[in-house]
Amino acid sequence: MAVRLGPLELKNPIMVASGTFGYGVEYADVMDISAIGAISVKGISLEPRAGNPPPRICETPAGMINAIGLANIGYDAFVQTTLPRLRELGATVVVNLYGTSADEFAELAERFDSQEGIAALEVNISCPNVKAGGIHFGVRPEPAAAVTRAVRERTGLPVIVKLSPEAVNIAEVAKAAREAGADALSLINTIRGMSIDVETRRPRLGSVMGGMSGPAIRPLAVRLVYEVHKAVDVPLIGIGGISCLRDVLEFMMAGATAVQIGTANYTNPRTSLEILSDFEKYCLERGVTPAELVGTVKTN
Amino acid sequence: MARVTQVRYPEQGYALIWFRGDRQLAGNPGQFVMVRGDWGNDPILGRAFSLVESGEEEAILVRVVGVGTRRLAELKPDDPLWVLGPSGHGFALPASDQNPVLVAGGVGIAPLYFLAKKIRETGGRATVLYGARNNRETPLAEEIEEFADLVVTTEDGSAGRRGLVTEPLAEILDDTSVARIVYSCGPEAMLEAVARACVDRQVECQIALESPMACGKGTCKGCAVLAADGRYRYVCSDGPVFESREIYKS
Repeated sequence: MAVRLGPLELKNPIMVASGTFGYGVEYADVMDISAIGAISVKGISLEPRAGNPPPRICETPAGMINAIGLANIGYDAFVQTTLPRLRELGATVVVNLYGTSADEFAELAERFDSQEGIAALEVNISCPNVKAGGIHFGVRPEPAAAVTRAVRERTGLPVIVKLSPEAVNIAEVAKAAREAGADALSLINTIRGMSIDVETRRPRLGSVMGGMSGPAIRPLAVRLVYEVHKAVDVPLIGIGGISCLRDVLEFMMAGATAVQIGTANYTNPRTSLEILSDFEKYCLERGVTPAELVGTVKTN
Repeated sequence: MARVTQVRYPEQGYALIWFRGDRQLAGNPGQFVMVRGDWGNDPILGRAFSLVESGEEEAILVRVVGVGTRRLAELKPDDPLWVLGPSGHGFALPASDQNPVLVAGGVGIAPLYFLAKKIRETGGRATVLYGARNNRETPLAEEIEEFADLVVTTEDGSAGRRGLVTEPLAEILDDTSVARIVYSCGPEAMLEAVARACVDRQVECQIALESPMACGKGTCKGCAVLAADGRYRYVCSDGPVFESREIYKS
């Protein structure tokens, strides 16, 4: 079931997406967190962040909108208390990085470079819920390349760059990140949405807008994976509303080598394990390896 | 995966759902479960409910407010129910010299019903002040009378005293001949009024909060509330029960 994303080898292609599975350790009581391909942990910044004013989440048709604002415990607490626990539990850890400038991303990359038990870094240039940084780095090629390069120069770890569906031209952003040293790309992050309580005439989120996720955005994500796969030679990790085996296959056929399960973790925290079991069965029955599925959609 | 064992409809628009899983949850009053039926992707999130009972029997009280709660209310015995929990911190039981006063607003009766029962089992007896808009919105009122002293208030006077639940609360707290402890769950405005009544009279008050929630496990950081110190607390992992002073400025 192993898959290779450049220098990063995973025991299977089923990962969990940043922000939807905490730091992983919280789920050790409901599942074996070492069994899944990798855990992309909640985005880590240099300093702890309190997050946005509530309400921070609301439900929408076949999905949800969140405006958490990257609330996280910060680098020090993560490295001192959470990372050792993840190592003990045998989890494959991808650290999702959030900085407000290329320098902050570089600083985080350098600090994590010397830590044990990290499989890769995932550079978040696509969060829609923060005032500085985030999505602003991900909508055009130049800032995306600048952040990627800054991280690349300071770490020997595999670098994954997480793309935004709001990029003006996602293939160009993908190409720029690749040329700046990204080993793999993950896509998509959430897309900005809004919901209004028509009784009170107030937005349902404290931050007015937030990032949409869940099955509602899956066709958009599949299309973007397909476009990037056609345009750029780089391993892709597909994300966006995956909740069952069928969805995994769809992303792989569109061009993803691995996938991340996001919102479906809230529906059931064991979703990734259950999908993995179905995926293994599928590969066995069909006599295919995961790699043989990648980009196999027939469009002619 | 649990299974529904029994459903009762104490009032129009409410469902009391009993369920059983592979193991007993052994939850405490004030703790909650995330619950979802087997209905595909829409709505996608589970719903958080206070436990009304836990142990031999597990039960939640559902008030129908939207699609998810309507689907829950339509469940039948033997239907599958996905349950995560019990989660969060429950109520701290009263000390032997504290007379418990439980103040419920509407469906906020759910965790207080469980608490009143637990207090009775441990040899005490709670006074329950139950406020609602009208006599059609007082589920569990009859049942709770079996093990607690009940005072109902309704805004339209269709049951019990006409007025707000904070009025009998003030009368009880003004009698300072016995030590009291207050527990409350209900709408935000009521909780704040209850908390204020307690602070003014230096009575300990524990409140159970509600919030939209995605994970119910402390990871998504979706259920933030702004506390009295200007920092955020998370209803699912720091609560749902808080000392009222932690949340409301005095």
